[in-house]
Amino acid sequence: MDIMDKLKILADAAKYDVSCSSSGSRRTNKPGGLGNSAPSGICHSWSDDGRCISLLKILQTNYCVYNCSYCVNRVSNDVPRAFLSPDEICDLTMNFYRRNYIEGLFLSTAISSNPDQTMEMLLQTVMKIREEHCFNGYIHLKAIPGADNRLIEAAGKYVDRMSINMELPSEQGLRLLAPQKKRAAIVKPMSFMSTQITAQQEERRKSRKAPLFLPAGQTTQMIVGATPDHDWDILKLSEKMYRQFHLKRVYYSAYVPVARNPNLPDLTKPPLLREHRLYQADWLLRFYGFNAQELLNETHPNFAEDYDPKTDWALRNLHYFPVEVNRADYEMLLRVPGIGVKSAKRILTARRMHSLRIEDLKLIGIVLKRAQYFITCGGKYSGQTAMEEYLLRPRLALSQPKSKQAENRGCEQLSLFSFLPEPVSPEIALSSITGEF
Amino acid sequence: MLHYIYDGSFNGLLTAIHEIYYRRQIPQQLLPCGTSTPQLFVQQEEIVTDDNKAAKVYDAIYYKISPQALRHTYYAYLAEHLEAGIWVYQYLNLGWKLGSKADMLLSEERVHRIHRLGQKVSMERHRLLGLVRFQLLQKDIYYAAIEPDHNVVELMAPHFARRMADQNWVIHDLRRNLAAVYNQNEWVSTHFTQLHKLELANEEQYYQKLWKHYYDNIAISSRINPRLQKRCMPQRYWKHLVEKN
Repeated sequence: MDIMDKLKILADAAKYDVSCSSSGSRRTNKPGGLGNSAPSGICHSWSDDGRCISLLKILQTNYCVYNCSYCVNRVSNDVPRAFLSPDEICDLTMNFYRRNYIEGLFLSTAISSNPDQTMEMLLQTVMKIREEHCFNGYIHLKAIPGADNRLIEAAGKYVDRMSINMELPSEQGLRLLAPQKKRAAIVKPMSFMSTQITAQQEERRKSRKAPLFLPAGQTTQMIVGATPDHDWDILKLSEKMYRQFHLKRVYYSAYVPVARNPNLPDLTKPPLLREHRLYQADWLLRFYGFNAQELLNETHPNFAEDYDPKTDWALRNLHYFPVEVNRADYEMLLRVPGIGVKSAKRILTARRMHSLRIEDLKLIGIVLKRAQYFITCGGKYSGQTAMEEYLLRPRLALSQPKSKQAENRGCEQLSLFSFLPEPVSPEIALSSITGEF
Repeated sequence: MLHYIYDGSFNGLLTAIHEIYYRRQIPQQLLPCGTSTPQLFVQQEEIVTDDNKAAKVYDAIYYKISPQALRHTYYAYLAEHLEAGIWVYQYLNLGWKLGSKADMLLSEERVHRIHRLGQKVSMERHRLLGLVRFQLLQKDIYYAAIEPDHNVVELMAPHFARRMADQNWVIHDLRRNLAAVYNQNEWVSTHFTQLHKLELANEEQYYQKLWKHYYDNIAISSRINPRLQKRCMPQRYWKHLVEKN
């Protein structure tokens, strides 16, 4: 089989892995070597599905002994199989890197024999590219659940980031769809890597010459929509992993129907909106100081389709609003829908010079589409409506037709009856009493 | 009406700013040469670039305002916006009064537009760090052609000098006939026009084909989203991308 066919088969098999970021590492180039990593991460292209291509994402082999029903590479699936030797992977990576096609290598694999042998194969490859080819670019390596800790530790010294896929948010799901994978075998190496990373950071603080160990940390990935789990279960698990294992990222991948199986849902399209909402909530956990508990709970276990998680939270907690832009602290500014980390920091900077009016906010670059309903500037509220949940909901919903949105944004034509409260539809009135939507 | 015309270099711009203070006349525009035609009622004055005067203004910005202000000024100049000259003058004027605090006045028009120009330049630089495509030529030189909106070649060169330290490379800005050239030791920026047809190395076609092949197979067909793709990677850059040709 020539390399062209192998590349096709193994890229095709690797594309369902979501992670592609190349950020977080400051590995520098060495004399006579090639490459370094940029802490910001750099995207090198965007494929036709709009996802960025930063790393050469490839499986070493797609021969698999496991039979996870959601996966294209499962043993019972009739697909062409291939194997790339370490030399072939090195050659591809080096030559793509020299032409600036990629930022580094994302090496994963199917489980071709037992976990230890598979992990050793990956280790051989990354050792080769780092030592023989003097490659100092970014490498993201998959750790194999069930592999020996010593192998994982050895690999961690060569690569920038490792990840073990959580695959499914619940143990029942795993038992049903991936019977050969055990939750414990996934969590154990994750916790091992986490302690190693912390220990090594401590070493690096004492001496700058201490060797690197996973400078860009570890990540994981979960499939969304293949099991009946709620968003609440997923978010709770993510929060726990961020707190316990200090993960850099949890990736969510909308389940792409690749197989027919009685245990799998019968989807025609991947649940992309759900994936998007989870990512939004994930950002709220990591950068905005939210808890999973605030966004979702047992009685409200899924994200609304029409509202992003922050707007949804704000609408359920209107007693915190409106926020005075000139006085609110950073944490509260971050909780205003439409104001993000950058905007909040810009507000803090600008208001040290003078108090801000609504026109100033526009010039600073704050997007007021949603924020206007939740803030005051110098005591003035600019939302053009009373701050009542039933009035704000239709204005902030995403799914209404364009013409109606325009109507809502413009000034209202005053009529004799506009002084009376607006008639409320029965469902909205009911929901504002019960608090359920 | 008075227009100052400078030679288009950064030192030229700084000299022009120096002249404004010592001639005690305020021009309506500060333009690089070749961008305006003589008009009735407009008096044009040519500014001769003087490196000493430019160095004085350069130091003054660095010490009296802030190093960040110097960076903003330089980036705004690289944006090559027609009004960048006079905007820089107005921005610096505010800077002389307020010192380093000037950059905190985010809602002030004079500050805001300089920041915005600078941001455009640094965003394009970052984007091109990924989108540059080198081709290996016969004499072991990696050559890349780009056509950026702003003059970012010089900003990109240090990144590649660190990264591709063991190869000879040229990044050629076709629009401005500029190039950054690196010889495994140091990079220089020069005027550059390509005279001959490029002679690709033997294996070049092979790796380009492999990359295209990889690119075509990495997209998930049930998630095709050309709008997102074009937003992240505007079509004006596609001309020089191997995978899009």
